[in-house]
Amino acid sequence: MEYFEPKSVSEALAVLARHGAEAKVIAGGTDVMVDIKFKEEPGGLINIKKIPGLSGIAEHGAGLRIGALTTIREIETSALMREKLPVLWEAAHQFASLQVRNTATIGGNICRASPSGETLAPLLVLDARAKLAFADGEKSVPFTAFFQGPGKCSAGVHGLLTEIEIPYPPAGSRGVYLKHAVRGAMDIAMVGVAVLLTPDPGKNNIQDARIGLGAVAPTPLRASKTEALLRGKPLAAALLKEAAALAASESSPINDQRSSAEYRRWIVEALTRRGLEQTWKAATGKEVA
Amino acid sequence: MSVTINTRINGQSVSASADASTSLLEFLRDVLEMKGSKLCCNTGECGACTVIYNGKPINSCVTMAADANGAEITTIEGLADGAKLHPVQQAFIDTGAVQCGYCTPGYIMSVKALLDRTTKPTQADIEEAVSGNICRCTGYNKIVDAIHLAADRMAGRV
Repeated sequence: MEYFEPKSVSEALAVLARHGAEAKVIAGGTDVMVDIKFKEEPGGLINIKKIPGLSGIAEHGAGLRIGALTTIREIETSALMREKLPVLWEAAHQFASLQVRNTATIGGNICRASPSGETLAPLLVLDARAKLAFADGEKSVPFTAFFQGPGKCSAGVHGLLTEIEIPYPPAGSRGVYLKHAVRGAMDIAMVGVAVLLTPDPGKNNIQDARIGLGAVAPTPLRASKTEALLRGKPLAAALLKEAAALAASESSPINDQRSSAEYRRWIVEALTRRGLEQTWKAATGKEVA
Repeated sequence: MSVTINTRINGQSVSASADASTSLLEFLRDVLEMKGSKLCCNTGECGACTVIYNGKPINSCVTMAADANGAEITTIEGLADGAKLHPVQQAFIDTGAVQCGYCTPGYIMSVKALLDRTTKPTQADIEEAVSGNICRCTGYNKIVDAIHLAADRMAGRV
């Protein structure tokens, strides 16, 4: 197996141009090392951790920029993150174990493109974008268009994710990330639901609702029909019930060892209901009518 | 492809080669013959392989050996001072937190890292610190007792 340790993004892109098809990019290693041992060894490893400048969380305009090599623990322990983007903070906090959070990177969690990737539903509702480097220049891709299937994303085999750009959520909005798993720690989510709700200025109606679903389709997805149903309305009990059921119908889960598809749809319904209820209350100070 | 690894383990400089696909755990156990860190799930889920890497507890089974290059690593072999056990090791013995013992080195490294971070851990700190370590014997209460005892002893409270 070949091994590369590029010292710059351009060097990494040159290696990817030659070996991207058979070699794997590795950062924290918490997923790739498991593949090496239990699935198949890739033709090569491209260790990107020696590239300077790809790590850290910084405010930029009205949002945060997170370097792709930033560890999940760095996100979890960032006061700025907890204050400004609590939805993503919550996902980092619920991510695997301390040992894994100390090594796993957000870039790895994203490029793994697993439907159950913990940070993905939050990134979807935050309208975050991936900054990708290619040999012919940079591209900024919204996460709503980034995931193409399990293990497949816009970086392809020749591109490199360098940064995640996250605008601050609208003023007055409230967000929540709810994960369903058997154990509190370590478990991969059976279902993850992120909700970001913005009321209108009078706090009477939903101005904007964003719902991200994880682990219930080939890619993490936005429940766009449910979002459209909610827009412009107050969150009444009947609407809440209808929205939760619609979100479940927008998911297309599979049966696997973690749970059945039917069970996952129930959980999508329950977590969507809970997420909308919680964010509506937090954002408007009102109970569901 | 073989990679040369220059690292520091338990305060000693070490230089050795390993294939690029080698995990840090395999490097420790099979190349350096340090068998204290345990191979168990080999997927980063059980914590038996926990070592301290640049001050942070990590799963050595899912870390590349190549990433040890230039790093400072502490393993279970580095804790005792001659015949005198580290306070965390002693506390595990004194509270009966060791049964079959296979998970113990990993626990002790997680707890050492915790007590390096804070001398007065809360219950939540303790639960977080060992949430990535699995013990199939003790039912955990004795382990939590050991952590409290080690913290109190190291801070001179008992």
